Amino acid sequence: MKNILSIFLAVFALVLLNAATFTVQEHQQAIIIQFGKIKGEAVTKAGLHFKIPFIQNVKYFEKRILQWEGDKGEVPTFDKKFIWVDTTARWRIADALLFYKTVKDIETALARMGPIIDGATKDTVSGFNLTESVRNTNKILDDYAEHQKEEKSSKLDSDLGELDSDIEKITHGREKLSEMISERARVELVKLGIDLMDVMFRSIAYQESVEKKVFQSMIEERNQIATKIRSSGQGEKANILGQLDLALKKIESEAYKKSQIIRGQAEAEAMQIYAKELKEDPHFFEFVKTLETYKNTIAKRGQFVLSTDNAFLGLLKKGG
Amino acid sequence: MNQRANKSFEQIIEDLNRMFANFGRNKRGPQSPYNGGGGGNAPSGPNPFLQWIIISMFLIAYGALSSFYQVETTQKGVITRFGAFYDIADEGLHLKLPFGIDQVYKVEVTRIHEEQFGFRKDGRKLSAPQLAKESLMLTGDLKLAVVEWIVQYRIHDAKKFLFNAVGVSNNIRDISISVMRRVVGDKLVSDVLTVDRVSIAEAARRLTQETLDKFDMGVTITNLNLQNVNPPESVRAAFNEVNVARQEKDQLVNQAKGAYNQVIPEAGGRALKMVAEAEAYSINLVNKAKGDAEKFKTILEAYRKAPEITRRRLYLDTMEEIFSQVDHLTVVDPEIKGLMPIYSKNVAQALAEPVKAAEPKPTQAAQ
Repeated sequence: MKNILSIFLAVFALVLLNAATFTVQEHQQAIIIQFGKIKGEAVTKAGLHFKIPFIQNVKYFEKRILQWEGDKGEVPTFDKKFIWVDTTARWRIADALLFYKTVKDIETALARMGPIIDGATKDTVSGFNLTESVRNTNKILDDYAEHQKEEKSSKLDSDLGELDSDIEKITHGREKLSEMISERARVELVKLGIDLMDVMFRSIAYQESVEKKVFQSMIEERNQIATKIRSSGQGEKANILGQLDLALKKIESEAYKKSQIIRGQAEAEAMQIYAKELKEDPHFFEFVKTLETYKNTIAKRGQFVLSTDNAFLGLLKKGG
Repeated sequence: MNQRANKSFEQIIEDLNRMFANFGRNKRGPQSPYNGGGGGNAPSGPNPFLQWIIISMFLIAYGALSSFYQVETTQKGVITRFGAFYDIADEGLHLKLPFGIDQVYKVEVTRIHEEQFGFRKDGRKLSAPQLAKESLMLTGDLKLAVVEWIVQYRIHDAKKFLFNAVGVSNNIRDISISVMRRVVGDKLVSDVLTVDRVSIAEAARRLTQETLDKFDMGVTITNLNLQNVNPPESVRAAFNEVNVARQEKDQLVNQAKGAYNQVIPEAGGRALKMVAEAEAYSINLVNKAKGDAEKFKTILEAYRKAPEITRRRLYLDTMEEIFSQVDHLTVVDPEIKGLMPIYSKNVAQALAEPVKAAEPKPTQAAQ
């Protein structure tokens, strides 16, 4: 009996020790509940802690950053475009006592967060044009201007389409909008002991019918660009052929000019040479040259009809 | 993450209680190893010493077993004592406090983890719409592009990785999806598809890392790569059409350039030839003139010595030369009329040419 008693005592001691202590893991926080009421502050420090055995119970809560996944919601923007907005958020249990009092557990908390964040998202997004929730900066406008300049200066065909008229300057931008959403939702969620760390647009997508129209407009834009490129190809070809003609004419005419000058100069020189020598005795030259010409021009084996009036045949007629 | 779930203190007590109860039953079982050597089978109870010994042995064995742990080379061990963070253990065999007082979480710190967006390399089946949801995104000019990318990351701080956030890989996914859309949302669709791929990846990597650091999740993005950047499926044909047009343009331009290159160098050569010919003509002409002049000068000198007779002789010499070569010489007295008809037609034609050619222009060169 003594042994059984000692075993019982040992077990009892262990059970008592167990009931009087609790460990809070590094990723946890805990609150102590006594007769259904919260006792004291939340225990946020990990480690071994004490409580009154059997009377106090411990409720553990997550201390780490948690994730909230929004449902995709259809939202009309200020410029009446229908888009799907998909948000996600990071949060944590900042005040375990308040959290326990208001929502009890994470599942309930997520269910409560849904409408609050979705509502804030809808309110914010619908207050702005679509570009505000797509873009973050106005850099795209500079980029576009830059491309236009490039296109003009280099004659390169970029893929640049027309910029829609609704790509105007933005005043807030994607980041600012998600901040506004988290600001709005945070105010509500603080009341539940929740610290909403951020809300992000995970994705913003066109509603299906709008998407189709966008695809169509992209196709049209590409077709225009293709046409433009083809036309510029023809233009460039014509230009090169024009250049070809110009260069050819230039080369040919310059060569002609040069050769004519050379020929002219040569003829002038020859003329001068002749003139200089021949003017010594023009009549004799004429005589010699005439004879030479006769020799060169009167064909061999030709037929010749001579009149007896001819000087050459003078003797023939006169008879000496 | 390889988390070993150690038994809590509570559970150990429970186990012991159960073991104790089992022992009570086992002593009557025929297979019990202590049955034969056991002392009393008296209903009053088992030998108390034996019970204590067995319980102690269990405790010692369990204590010994739970005092050791091994950390692999690719891992870091995060040790908590009574749940609170205590230490980080490197690779090797280590001692710890038993009975779940110390717990070890092993974290893969050297391995590169990868998340894929818009596609899946491995067998995980995802429907096309689901993938499209990940990869189809709005560009800054409110057009659409399909961007597929991967994020590779490493756990650089095991403690932060374990204790700062739930589901770090999910967080990385969410953050990366959001960041990628934000980056692409600031670009023109034409830039997204062409020149900005590298800068998008770089900006996305930087912003994703910044966001993760804000939440202190203990991970480092080692690589963010755009795998595929495409126009959406239904407009792809139109995009290809632009490429085709560009090729056609290149072809036209190349053809024209080819023609240019074919013609112009040749024309240059011909131009040189033309000039060379003119120069040849020039040299020829001048030399001829010089020669002629020289000849004339020489003849003139001789002629002046006896002009009349030389003149006569030259004339007759020439006539001799000419008429000696002529096939057929007809001498006609102008007083004889009606001679022409005797010539046949073709003779008259044959006559016509030499007569024409024989019209000398003796003064031409002298002018």
